[in-house]
Amino acid sequence: MSGRVRLAAVPFLSARPFTYGLEQGLGEDLFELAFDSPEGCARRVSSGEAHLALLPSANYRRIARDRGLDVRVVPHIAAVVRDDLPTALAEEHSLGALTGSVGDWRARTGLPFVSLLWCGRLGTIGPEVANLLAQSLRQGLAHLRDIATAFAEAHGGDPAHNERLLAHSLGYRLGSAELSGLGAFFDHLHLAEAPALTAPAPARIRLFEFDEAPHIAQPTGPTRVKIAMPGVDALLADAAAGKRLSPAEGIRLYESASLLDLGKAADQRRQSLHARNLVTYIIDRNVNYTNLCVTACKFCNFFRPAKSQEAYTLSREVLAQKFSETVAMGGIQILLQGGVNPQLRLDYFEDLFRWTKANFPLALHALSPEEVSFIAKQEGLPIRTVLERLVAAGLDSLPGGGAEILDDEIRHRISPLKCSADTWITVMREAHGLGLRTTATLVFGFGETPEHIAKHLERLRALQDKTAGFTAFICWPFQAEGTRLRLGDDTTALRYLRVFSLARLYLDNFPNLQVSWPTMGPTIGQVALRFGGNDFGSAMIEENVVSQAGAVFKLSAEDIERRVRAAGFVPRRRNMRYELLPVRGGAASVGREAAGNIPPQLPLAGA
Amino acid sequence: MSFPEFKDIKDKVRAGESLGFDDGVALFQHPNLLDLGQLANEVRERLHGQRTYFNRNMHINATNVCVASCRFCSFARLKPGDLGAYTLSLEEAWGRLRARVQAKDPITEIHIVNGLHDGLPFSYYTDLLAGLKRICPTVHLKAFTAVEIFFFHQHYGLPVAEVLTRLREAGLDSLPGGGAEIFSPRVRRKLCADKCDAAEWLDVHRTAHRMGLRSNCTMLYGHIETIEERVEHLLRLRALQDETGGFQTFIPLAFHADGNAMQRLAPPTGVDDLRTFAVSRLLLHNIPHLKAYWIMLGLKTAQTAQWFGADDLDGTVQEERIYHMAGAETPQHLGVPDIVHLIKQAGRVPVERDTLYNVLAEGSDLVSSKPFRRPLPQVTGSAS
Repeated sequence: MSGRVRLAAVPFLSARPFTYGLEQGLGEDLFELAFDSPEGCARRVSSGEAHLALLPSANYRRIARDRGLDVRVVPHIAAVVRDDLPTALAEEHSLGALTGSVGDWRARTGLPFVSLLWCGRLGTIGPEVANLLAQSLRQGLAHLRDIATAFAEAHGGDPAHNERLLAHSLGYRLGSAELSGLGAFFDHLHLAEAPALTAPAPARIRLFEFDEAPHIAQPTGPTRVKIAMPGVDALLADAAAGKRLSPAEGIRLYESASLLDLGKAADQRRQSLHARNLVTYIIDRNVNYTNLCVTACKFCNFFRPAKSQEAYTLSREVLAQKFSETVAMGGIQILLQGGVNPQLRLDYFEDLFRWTKANFPLALHALSPEEVSFIAKQEGLPIRTVLERLVAAGLDSLPGGGAEILDDEIRHRISPLKCSADTWITVMREAHGLGLRTTATLVFGFGETPEHIAKHLERLRALQDKTAGFTAFICWPFQAEGTRLRLGDDTTALRYLRVFSLARLYLDNFPNLQVSWPTMGPTIGQVALRFGGNDFGSAMIEENVVSQAGAVFKLSAEDIERRVRAAGFVPRRRNMRYELLPVRGGAASVGREAAGNIPPQLPLAGA
Repeated sequence: MSFPEFKDIKDKVRAGESLGFDDGVALFQHPNLLDLGQLANEVRERLHGQRTYFNRNMHINATNVCVASCRFCSFARLKPGDLGAYTLSLEEAWGRLRARVQAKDPITEIHIVNGLHDGLPFSYYTDLLAGLKRICPTVHLKAFTAVEIFFFHQHYGLPVAEVLTRLREAGLDSLPGGGAEIFSPRVRRKLCADKCDAAEWLDVHRTAHRMGLRSNCTMLYGHIETIEERVEHLLRLRALQDETGGFQTFIPLAFHADGNAMQRLAPPTGVDDLRTFAVSRLLLHNIPHLKAYWIMLGLKTAQTAQWFGADDLDGTVQEERIYHMAGAETPQHLGVPDIVHLIKQAGRVPVERDTLYNVLAEGSDLVSSKPFRRPLPQVTGSAS
């Protein structure tokens, strides 16, 4: 685009945080800014006089609907009414006759009300402009007091009142809940204006599409207005009671419920599914039989290409030693996963499984869908046939790895050579059809949206409805250290607890949720037991994939049991099918049941 | 005895009433961790909104030589010349600050805690402070736990008030909160028999507060103490705060077991950490801040603690030694962008403060990549 970007904005108080940075000289070589009435701003966009305008959502709807133009909304930023719309604000936005009905918008719909947004005609701006607008807003949010004071000086009024309005009554993020609110508002206007069946379709909200989401700071204040969203509270109560969530409801909870509300609902749901207050764990060993891998996922720090000096395939001698140690330490299972190694054909696995079963009393929880589908492709056999032959050789169950995010767009970006989402699901469906049990996983932190997470959970739940073959769900943030992906912004403990609790609520047909202490650490792993988890995973860890990318936690069975008890639960060992094993040595676990909820008082060392 | 119901405790908290001993015990035993979290979060947001504070600080542990034999400390009974024992020369200690100044690292606070070294003259400490102030007159010196102050009193034969006065003249600005451990005589006898007792620890802080010095306070939990002893400890801190108002921040310290005499004790778990934060927030309604000391908790728990009552993450911290000698696996330093990121990702609003909780930077000032150019606050000997 040649020349300067012409911007128009309404002169309202609520618009000033958005224009603050621009008024302070941000991007002054690039922008021209004019203030105008809502109608004036709309006219400027329609006529091309302005590239972008900051105007009330009702005015956006009118241009988008009436003029037949492709007018897009700048993503991520908007003025959003947080609680009940103050009358003054409704008047300011020229909502006229609608003021009364919008006044209790939040209470009626449970959705945010988007009052102002930036919009312009398609093709007029690029991401750098959107970023500058977000930056201008960020600066404004850091100077709400100045804005409130300056506005009062220019237009009269009480600066403190202005500041309260800016800091507490408004939000500034345009997320999916806000977009839902916007859509609902347009539907509402549409019905109010044209109840006839022949009325044209309501305006659609379309966003400029850019790659990167700018970060929007939220304003701070001495007190926080607790956003009463009856919708979310009701959803949480329903979900905690076992009612099924729709994808949209899942997204809404993920975005809007507070961490502890979400956790409490998940905790309640866990309790009704696992009334005996048991938390299970297994003793098994994770053996990575090869690190040679042709899939080359960008988030993986474990694999080595075929020509690498460091590529290995474990010999029978090494495997025998690992398996014997496992048995000696009370292990009952081997979790066997590797790279996708084209040198290892179906007969290799058949021999390996038969040999294992002939020599060791161990269950084989082996080969993720990615490995199974690769073997099938290489052998030119149907997936079902491969699975049948592996089962005949001794396969007991499939681990749920490699699911990452079940969305091909994301898969293509992070692991272009890995099986598609459909293939992953197909392998699981076939496995369940043969009577195998499997787990399911989700790895987040790849720049996915809440919609991707909801879609992933939805696919798992839909398959589980058909097959009931999943025993447990496990999720974790990808471990970035040393891998080729930059550490995402969101691979944190709090995001983990959010995704985890949401999964507990969403996956109403999954019996078990396993916490991922190898990636999150035993501390947050334990805390996650209070956010919906009922399984502590495996005690004897040898997990090369995650530890190559920075996680180095180790826990003994004793340590796991201590942590489980300290979280208020009774620990029990299980097998892969989540069947409880007999309590060892009598009362070891049961005897402390009564003390479950009380942090243990520890004996003095050496005393 | 009728056991207090959570609902009644909640009503008391919401009415701003102070909780009693039984309430505290009931909270520690309340089965639902998230109930506690929500109530503590309510108090936290009432006091501080969405803000989480941090500062730019460095640590100096001038010596780890120590006559005390605390069983939880990896410094215990180190004598000069022992393997791993060290005492910085004044030049070395000053050099640490000079290096920061030369690196244009705008630290605002130095946190100084040391072993109880019986072979140094009192002038070592006054010279240490005065020298640091000469290098950077605006830096706030938060130095010497009450245990050290009490040791100075005994070792150099000076009244506590005199020790504090001389240190303040040399540059002392406030006292850190360490050394409180658990006040119970039963526990102190077993863990740290040769350290000052509860009354002495509290009296040092009382004296400091009366002189206008601010201080922090702590509790070392997760070893051999009982729930009742934790509650009693918190209530004694609260009582002194009622009397003086001089505490700024309470810092729960989780016990770390590696490399000290208590290796066989398992560390407190995450649930216990978060529970302790929440109950502390609820019992200590008169102490404004609750710090999640990330060095000790780890980053993930420190992040989570911000929803269980904590409103402060300590600082950037340079050269922490005590916890790392006891096996803490956290990094020894975080950059400001790291801390800001950590806080934002927890859904809170990062605010850089000075030691006395004056706001130095927030909002877009924090994300600026330029070094800060604001004037540092003039800190005088007596804190307001």
